[in-house]
Amino acid sequence: MFWTSRGADDAALDSLLRAYREAIPDPDPSANFMPELWRRIEERQRSVFFLGRWARAFVTAAAVLSLVMAALLYIPRGHNSLFSVESYVEALSSGHAQDSADTVETVVDEL
Amino acid sequence: MLVDFELIKRAQAGEGPAFNEIVLVYRKRILGTIARLISRPEDVEDVAQEVFLRLYFSLDQLRTAEVFEPWLYRLTVNAAYDYLRKHRRRMESRMSDLSEQQVIIADAVAGRRMDHDARQRRLVSETVDAMLSAVSDADRILLTLKEVEGLSLKELEKIYKVNENALKVRLFRARQRVLRASGEAAREAGAKGAARAEV
Repeated sequence: MFWTSRGADDAALDSLLRAYREAIPDPDPSANFMPELWRRIEERQRSVFFLGRWARAFVTAAAVLSLVMAALLYIPRGHNSLFSVESYVEALSSGHAQDSADTVETVVDEL
Repeated sequence: MLVDFELIKRAQAGEGPAFNEIVLVYRKRILGTIARLISRPEDVEDVAQEVFLRLYFSLDQLRTAEVFEPWLYRLTVNAAYDYLRKHRRRMESRMSDLSEQQVIIADAVAGRRMDHDARQRRLVSETVDAMLSAVSDADRILLTLKEVEGLSLKELEKIYKVNENALKVRLFRARQRVLRASGEAAREAGAKGAARAEV
């Protein structure tokens, strides 16, 4: 199909698209259309329902786990326990006994 | 609007018969639009069901009656777009599987079975389908909605949520691409014809 000018091209395209509208009329739905649609809706509802249940179970498990972790962190324990309640400064000072005030004083005396 | 908002509200509340009624009112129109958007008669019902399935699960988001139809069209456009994107490659490979001889024989066999009008319709349908398949899915859908379905720019504005001027530009460019693609196809066909004549 050779179109000579821009206007003629547009007109030809318009008429072809109009003819296309007439060439493909609205098809009639099959008898199975509605039953098949409802089957798909129910199938999707089931999968949404199961997904929802899994999501709720996962959220519950995560919440329980968080509570257990929080309880383990905040329950006071002895110094030898895994979760010690001493502060960061206390932990540092107990780990570096040689930096204590006594050692510094000795050095000063020697000077 | 073909249904009143009361019916939509009932469907939103989960009433199956109300949703059924909405589907029955709109399905023929949606089937027609999809048929012209995807050009594959065997898959039209499947895509239409997908549209109504999406409608069913998103109906509770609808707040006002006047946006219902543009919204249904948007669902239709999205479902058609998804279909075309998924099937474009498959359709291309299916056509390339056939040799030129096989295509000629298949056409001849099909041609004998059809009367003149049906042959004309098929010719128009194949020509437009070939022209539109040379441009992007987005261009194809926009042009079909405007020029084939006859939607106004105002309606398209609501469907695409883009202002009228932007739509005009997009439509103009889509038309240019279609015209360019068909011009190139015509030149190629002419060159092939000339080569055959020389042989």
